[in-house]
Amino acid sequence: MFRYQRSILLGLTAFCLAFSNALQAKEQLVLAIGGEPEQGFDPLLGWGQYGSPLFQATLLSRGQDLSPAPELATAWSLSEDRLTWTLTLRDDAYFADGTPLTATDVAYTFNAASSAGGRADLSALQEARAIDRNTIELALKAPRITFIDQLMTLGIVPAAERENGYGDHYGRQPLGAGPYQLVEWQEGEQLIVERNPYYYGEPPTFERLVFLFTGEDTTLSAAHAGQVDLAALPPALAANLPTHMQRVVMESVDNRGILFPMQPASGERAPSGAPIGNNVTADIAIRRAINLALDRETLVDVALHGYGRPAFGPADGLAWSHTDEAFEAPDLTRAHTLLDDAGWELHADGLRYKDDQPARFRLTYPASDTTRQLLAQVSADMVRPLGIEMQPTGRHWDEIQREALHQDAIVFGFGSHSPQEVYYLFHSQHAGFGFYNSGYYANASVDHHLDTAQAAANPKAANQHWQAAQWDGETGYGVRGDVSWAWMVNLAHVYAAHRCLDVGELGIAPHGHGWPITANLQTWRWTCD
Amino acid sequence: MSPTQPRLYAVAYIAFAVVLLSTLIASPLWLGAAPLQMQFDARLAPPSASHWLGTDALGREVWARTLAGLRLSFWVGISAALLGTAIALTLAAIATLSSKLDALISLLIDTLLSVPHLILLLLIAFALGGGTQAVIIAVALTHWPSLARVLRAELLTLRHAPYVCISRSLGKSRGFILLYHLLPHVLPHCLVGALLLFPHAILHEAALTFLGVGLDPNQPAIGVLLADAMRYITAGYWWLGVFPGLGLLLLVLCIDRLAFTLRRAL
Repeated sequence: MFRYQRSILLGLTAFCLAFSNALQAKEQLVLAIGGEPEQGFDPLLGWGQYGSPLFQATLLSRGQDLSPAPELATAWSLSEDRLTWTLTLRDDAYFADGTPLTATDVAYTFNAASSAGGRADLSALQEARAIDRNTIELALKAPRITFIDQLMTLGIVPAAERENGYGDHYGRQPLGAGPYQLVEWQEGEQLIVERNPYYYGEPPTFERLVFLFTGEDTTLSAAHAGQVDLAALPPALAANLPTHMQRVVMESVDNRGILFPMQPASGERAPSGAPIGNNVTADIAIRRAINLALDRETLVDVALHGYGRPAFGPADGLAWSHTDEAFEAPDLTRAHTLLDDAGWELHADGLRYKDDQPARFRLTYPASDTTRQLLAQVSADMVRPLGIEMQPTGRHWDEIQREALHQDAIVFGFGSHSPQEVYYLFHSQHAGFGFYNSGYYANASVDHHLDTAQAAANPKAANQHWQAAQWDGETGYGVRGDVSWAWMVNLAHVYAAHRCLDVGELGIAPHGHGWPITANLQTWRWTCD
Repeated sequence: MSPTQPRLYAVAYIAFAVVLLSTLIASPLWLGAAPLQMQFDARLAPPSASHWLGTDALGREVWARTLAGLRLSFWVGISAALLGTAIALTLAAIATLSSKLDALISLLIDTLLSVPHLILLLLIAFALGGGTQAVIIAVALTHWPSLARVLRAELLTLRHAPYVCISRSLGKSRGFILLYHLLPHVLPHCLVGALLLFPHAILHEAALTFLGVGLDPNQPAIGVLLADAMRYITAGYWWLGVFPGLGLLLLVLCIDRLAFTLRRAL
């Protein structure tokens, strides 16, 4: 009798354990899909600019076709003079502490973000005003076509003057009206979030999400050990997945290319103290020749293992980019002729020289990034037969900012759902500030096209000017003009997902910061019992 | 064991070491550009007749990169070992000049030995900005105390030897005694010490490079190969790590055994 009791008890225990594991699998997801933001989850400092803010709600969201869709705002309009946005808020939006989200919070968020100096560019904002509880008015200093992107990316925070309002520690303890609320954040290790019970939209399927902050190899090891449900993988590691996982590929406008220093070295230094200029890359013949030498199909094949496509501009395939930027490459014969004509003589050591200046420069990449390392090594190998030596150099981001940012060619990555990024990358006004125009590119015609695009009446008219900035028949930042970059590839983002996890229909991802795959988090489902 | 056995072992190890090191030193003559040669159609190929030890993610031959890496490790190791030995010998010699200097150097030795040297290594290599020179200096600066302690003890004992006392009573200077009577006696210890330091230097070079504060990641160094292999090992590309690791083991073992045998023989 006792023997049977013990068997029954053991059986019951095993059943309970199995059942609890199944429940846990449905209620909790473990994700290893990228790093954490250094400045915390603070929209005023940039959180959410490259993907879903998760904890906060935005006024509008971006549909699959990148057009604006209702979110906190149910109606919106722009005045005839294109200087005033008026938005009507929904009345069932609450922060995660149960207090209502009103126009006062929205006004506070926009006014504070415009003076915070974060990644959210609200320099065009004159003032945000709460007209009544649910109506907000945003007055601009000048028409700016890309301002609507801030309505889609800036997460709303609670006004500072209210209880639990915005404060110095907001980035570590965010409070918002998004689908999830923060439970615990162990920096460098993990982030635990749970459903916001007051979220106005359809509640997400999963009660709890655990984000792990692991390196590339550790992520794959964790995936093999069955410890994560969704893992972002570098393309090189995407070939051999564990049997319980499937490959999920998300198309993106996330590009990688070489940003060239455009000014000759004159001893000048940036405000940060970093030296400016490079005598080799300042020569357009060198930049053109490098562009001609790159075999982009091979780069996709070798560095991305086929998960991507060749890149010829910063926004390939998007409405604000020319569709005919692609050219025949590699074309080493043309590249050699270009260099010969420009006075770069090929010497016996296999290197080209002009006025005793060897065609040699560092090609710097962040040492922790496998994909950029491969791109740097392979592109250097492709360019070497021309007599140009690009020296792949891995450095930490801090070191890049301190030393290399304005004097080395750098393997950079950008890619946004907004043409605002093109403005940052190529307008001389942004030269030397942050990573965008770190090569000090400046062209008055390009500036004019970019400014005209910002002042355009509608996106269609603006797109013509964005394209003209790339190439207007005479000049431009693109490969037919000043060749300020050598764009190499557009990545596809590769994930290993548990076979039971259905991540729904994925959109087109921007550059990787900010977990872009979570944009449609509410539609994710667990398909197993 | 008969008295001649250690000498036989020493001869055998020396012969093996000479063959191995000659191969490494002469390797650029017949390796050419092979360690850097990319073959895009043979990426991550497993070991086979056409790719003896397989290829890496860019189609570079693992055997060529391993040899180039061991060669680089050898030069880094020998430079660090010689520099470390020179520091140890100099400080041990200075310690014999006066009791105050002896106390000071003993304190320095004890202090350095009490700190885990990997932490010191990392700090020094990081402060010097990484690279080959930084690794050599970092290894040398952290590995001299053990040898210095042995040499100091030996020199202090010799200082009271009859022939040194006679020389002193004949009015010879401290420098003369040190140079002509003391140092020649500790040179065999220096040789063995340097040989024992050598494998440490190689292993630490690989460790520092693996941790990202050592050699340039674009150089075919053993630490770089092992760090790269770590990224692929879970994907099943075992040959990227196994062969460079075995090569490093062989080199270190060879030098270590040689030093051990010499110490016993001397």
